[in-house]
Amino acid sequence: MSVGVLLRHHVRLNRVPLVPLAAGLAMFEWMMTFVARQPAVSSFLTTALRAAPPEFLSLINQDLLTTVGAQGIIGVGYTHPFTLIMMAVWAVRVPCAALAGEVGRGTMNLVAARPVTRAAQIAAALLALLGGLTVLAAAAWLGTVIGLLGRPLQGVSAWRYLPVAVALWLTFATFGIVGILVSSLSREAGTAIAWLSGVMAGSYVLDYAARVWPRIASLRPLSLFRYYEPQQVVRSGLAGSDLLMFAAVAAVALLIAFVCFGRRDL
Amino acid sequence: MSGAPIRTRGLGKRYGRVQALDDLSLDVGQGEVFGFLGPNGAGKTTTIRLLLGLIRPTAGEASVLGQPVSSRAVAWRAEVGFLPGDMTFWPRLSGLETLDFLAALAGRPADARAGLLDRLALGAAELARPVRTYSDGMKQKLGLVQALQCSPRLALLDEPTKGLDPLVQQGFYEILADARANGATVFLSSHVLSEVERVCDRVGMLRAGRLVSVGDVEALRRAERRRVRADFTADVDSAALAHFGDLVVGHPRRVELLVAQQEIPALVARLGMLPLADLVVERPSLEEAFLEHYR
Repeated sequence: MSVGVLLRHHVRLNRVPLVPLAAGLAMFEWMMTFVARQPAVSSFLTTALRAAPPEFLSLINQDLLTTVGAQGIIGVGYTHPFTLIMMAVWAVRVPCAALAGEVGRGTMNLVAARPVTRAAQIAAALLALLGGLTVLAAAAWLGTVIGLLGRPLQGVSAWRYLPVAVALWLTFATFGIVGILVSSLSREAGTAIAWLSGVMAGSYVLDYAARVWPRIASLRPLSLFRYYEPQQVVRSGLAGSDLLMFAAVAAVALLIAFVCFGRRDL
Repeated sequence: MSGAPIRTRGLGKRYGRVQALDDLSLDVGQGEVFGFLGPNGAGKTTTIRLLLGLIRPTAGEASVLGQPVSSRAVAWRAEVGFLPGDMTFWPRLSGLETLDFLAALAGRPADARAGLLDRLALGAAELARPVRTYSDGMKQKLGLVQALQCSPRLALLDEPTKGLDPLVQQGFYEILADARANGATVFLSSHVLSEVERVCDRVGMLRAGRLVSVGDVEALRRAERRRVRADFTADVDSAALAHFGDLVVGHPRRVELLVAQQEIPALVARLGMLPLADLVVERPSLEEAFLEHYR
């Protein structure tokens, strides 16, 4: 019962930012279908990409060159920094506020002094995180769906982007769960936000650097972004190995969070 | 462990090299109002946080309402009301939303809320406002309501009258009296000695994390030394009276001594042999008793 009460509490505290985040994502993905529709734009992008330096092509994923048509451009919408930042805002905000934020503000005293287990607190934070990410990923896909319904593109189906939205959700759900772990160990929201943002940024930079710098290519699997490849997903669906990696990281982080938060002083 | 509302044995908490609480063994009985006195950093808040399981002890054990605090079972907390020393809430929630949320978490009806709001003069209009607009006093009132709204069997109150004006303090004392009449146990920490003297049945004094004294308020006063002031019509040898206690003032015509209660009859008999003009024997206030402990 306490999980439900806490979940409603998290929703009440976070629902206001969820609306603009979801609206922003939906509009952005809708806009990408609009851009993709223009043959001239597709042609221009193809030319521009072929002329771009290899480092830039690595950043946006070289596979894009082969699918720079409408389908590929819509896929870019799911790797664009705007989309990643919108998702990251929620993946950072909710876990960091739910545990470390409550401890730092002192309101954890009021919650933890009631018949609420520490596990229930983590479970509520997890559900709030995953619920919000579901809304955001669904909004992104909805933007694609609405765009393609309004301006159908030959050979491009909105259903192809549903697994991409799922992959987007999985990526940030995993980061968010790592955030729950960080938050469970922190005494201030600011500290947790700094660490989690650092992990995300570090992961992004590592993925990019490992693609452009062969000497550290072997480090790429250490980045979670290595397992998020929308263009690949559009072409051949979700890879089981990627799913497994996200699930493994999330499970380990969650287990450590349960143990550490259960034993720490509040 | 017994079913006593509060029972601790050898309870201790260490933060690195700092011993915040050391070897606390204490029983608080059903229906008792127990005052926990001590200066800042004495370990009062640490004790309350240990009793609630918010922090883990580094030594000893505690039970609350008959349940070991270290247990993963937390159902007993439904019958505990808690007022933290530093009252903070969620700034964007209204007072009413805050009370509803915390009552829902307790899983018990807020049957005492209306009476508390009335006594503490917290109206519906104020409850509808976001807590960020509250003054410190209003936050403290809201804190008291959230702690007591579900009629807890045990109330743990850390500095409950901090920031309350005298009129509202009076309302709080009435609330305490009602809680005691209904069989609730109250454990309150305070710096305000007159308050503890007024509302508590027993008092414990903490110094640097150690319980230095515990007993009835009256017994504590009895155990403390009396201040005896004697004025004489002629010069006397004040030093000759020093063996009765501590000489505070030693003039030829005025003597002031701190004297143990059992020494009073002998001192009065001796003073009777001197040219006595006036004699005052003062009972110590709890404050004096307290300060003597910390001297």
